Amino acid sequence: MQLAATIRGTKYRFDSIKEVLAKANPPKSGDDQAGISARDPVERVAARAVLAELTLHDLRENPVVPYELDELTRLVEDTLHADAYQAIRSLTVGQFREWLLETSTTGPLIRSISRGLTPEMAAAASKLMSNMDLMIVGAKCEVVVRANNTLGLPGRLSARLQPNHPTDNVEGILFSTREGLSYGCGDAVIGVNPATESAESTAEILRALNGVTTRNNIPTQNCVLSHVTVQMDALRLGDVPMDLMFQSFSGSEKGNRAFGISVALMDEAYAMMSELRSSHGPNFMYFETGQGSALSSDAHHGADQVTLEARCYGFARRYKPFLVNTVVGFIGPEYLEDGAQITRAALEDHFMGKLLGLPMGCDACFTYHSAMGQNELECLKVLLGAAGCSYLMSLPVGDDIMLNYQSTSFHDIPSVRGLVQRRPTPEFDAWLHEMGIMDGLKPGPRFGDPGVIR
Amino acid sequence: MSTTRKLIEALRERLGQADPLPSPPAIPRIQAPPTRVLPTARTRSCYAEQAAAHTAAILGIGHVGTRYATDVVLQFQAELAVAHDAVHTVLPDDWAQSQGLLPLKSRVEDHHQFLLRPDLGRRLDEESLERLRGNAIQDVDIQPILADGLSAVATMGSGMRLLETFSNECRFRGWTVGIPMCAKYARVWLQDEIGETVGARVACILLGERPGLGTGDGLSAYMVYEPRMGKTDSDRNMISNIHARGIVPELAGRQLAMMAGAMLDQKTSGVSLDLSGLTAELGQAASGGYREPQRRVRLVETDR
Repeated sequence: MQLAATIRGTKYRFDSIKEVLAKANPPKSGDDQAGISARDPVERVAARAVLAELTLHDLRENPVVPYELDELTRLVEDTLHADAYQAIRSLTVGQFREWLLETSTTGPLIRSISRGLTPEMAAAASKLMSNMDLMIVGAKCEVVVRANNTLGLPGRLSARLQPNHPTDNVEGILFSTREGLSYGCGDAVIGVNPATESAESTAEILRALNGVTTRNNIPTQNCVLSHVTVQMDALRLGDVPMDLMFQSFSGSEKGNRAFGISVALMDEAYAMMSELRSSHGPNFMYFETGQGSALSSDAHHGADQVTLEARCYGFARRYKPFLVNTVVGFIGPEYLEDGAQITRAALEDHFMGKLLGLPMGCDACFTYHSAMGQNELECLKVLLGAAGCSYLMSLPVGDDIMLNYQSTSFHDIPSVRGLVQRRPTPEFDAWLHEMGIMDGLKPGPRFGDPGVIR
Repeated sequence: MSTTRKLIEALRERLGQADPLPSPPAIPRIQAPPTRVLPTARTRSCYAEQAAAHTAAILGIGHVGTRYATDVVLQFQAELAVAHDAVHTVLPDDWAQSQGLLPLKSRVEDHHQFLLRPDLGRRLDEESLERLRGNAIQDVDIQPILADGLSAVATMGSGMRLLETFSNECRFRGWTVGIPMCAKYARVWLQDEIGETVGARVACILLGERPGLGTGDGLSAYMVYEPRMGKTDSDRNMISNIHARGIVPELAGRQLAMMAGAMLDQKTSGVSLDLSGLTAELGQAASGGYREPQRRVRLVETDR
């Protein structure tokens, strides 16, 4: 296969499709750190020109981590939908980008071929797309899921309520929870990142959250984001109200090993939740991802962080999750240096996740050593709202007092919903109306009054 | 004329010369909105008062439309500014010498590179390696290392007090302590190369931690037994949140010496180090190092 392009008389050659994928990436400090990025902007475009001519079949035949070495590659290859793949296999990546953007290519059509796509195909298309391209296609994709409420319907934008506390003080968690609910947040999930990784502590927080949702008849889900094995132990304690089960994913088998998980373990966790969950709908898993996680455990196999991120989604779709979100700016400037890179990554991840059929949300965030500020982060939240992102996070003034980073605030959620004219899930919307918290898109008489929650 | 043109003409005719917006309502009397302030000890909402007993999250702050009150915005911006200022402050080249410390530097060339290349921050540059070989006391029990990490503000603030307290606590226990040194553009793992070079049994790096909102002056201490390049995070123990409003340097220095004692006794560190006998003395540090919530300090006050 010829992997070369000429720009202004200079010929750029590439040794592998993996190298083409890496060099076609927009600038990311993580790819620089890995030593795999394009050496200059012209080489980057040359790589994109080569990528545009490759077919989706070429990408399937050349996964960035070989079949023999990696169970995620095997999972994707062995479960790919044959007819869906047949329909798109001969398209070049350039043609695929255009097909996705065509007006006649509707959400349902994209959904019909989604199971025939490998993560490498989704990543490749993203590399040929501008930020607005990513938003247009992301907004088209339709992914609707159901647990205790129905997330992802057109015209909807949901929010995870994230009432974290540095010592898991349950009273402290509940104070943040009540305030968040009074701003219309929490329809995606009320989800706590625990400080302590124990089954007892996980169960205690779940019971406390369940107390709030039961007393107040709130149609939503709860979750404690401890390691999946800890949550399984919590379920074994018996009579623990767990609506969603959580785990972080990485884009290679080796990366997942560093996270202490495998396909077999997740299969076991999924089977256990099928039996023991407290939520109603067919979707009950929650996953988090983020560009750079594979490189940080030296598990990237020389592949770029966008492609590895897409491979997380290839893994996630096996479990028909209720929620998947990229924690985009959490990892730090050595992977995503500044606001431009964090914004780009958020839109890429949303696009790739939706294309692969996932209910994609985004933790739009930065750490205090990244070159990003409050205004840039607010812009990103609006972009995500316009791109049809399924949900954002929400915390008191966006400040996570346990994890020490800056995310979306309770106040941001009704603000973005108002700006892009999107409402919470229908069930939660009705509850907010009944409580007087929201009046459609406008704040209601009890808006911002935590006293309304018992 | 085409149908379309006719339609446009008709529309123009109907809209005429009128202003596209009706005139605004009569000018109202605008009253200053009620005071909404970020909860402080003096002025806080009932909900904020109750919440503050359990969490440092900023709660009970009310809203203006769907946004924050001005006072909340200013407090918040001040906290963010303090955090960013701490990250961007560079340790002056002559600071180490001015404090009587052996100056060392990692392979990082500038502050920008420091943020982007953690790998370079984990190795000494050639010159520093020579200086270390030429000046350090070899084969000590404890090698303390002061460093900038992600907050030179913290290092220059309470760094010397922590370094001196810790070193004195170690000498008091009869251990040999390496010469005092300070590393610039340093990441935690730099302690491995330094410790290995001087043949220390325990290396302890004291460095500015990644700032949180309003807390730019915190130090963390990481300790490893038999420092060697290739050690990982699971080989280390740490104490974080060392500053005037958290664990004060004097207490942290004593806790670190106890931790070092456990390493020397058990000849190991990290996840395999048993600190259960020191739970009372080490508090949170013995159980994994998560932060106690701290009371938020109000940063902005204006003179009237």
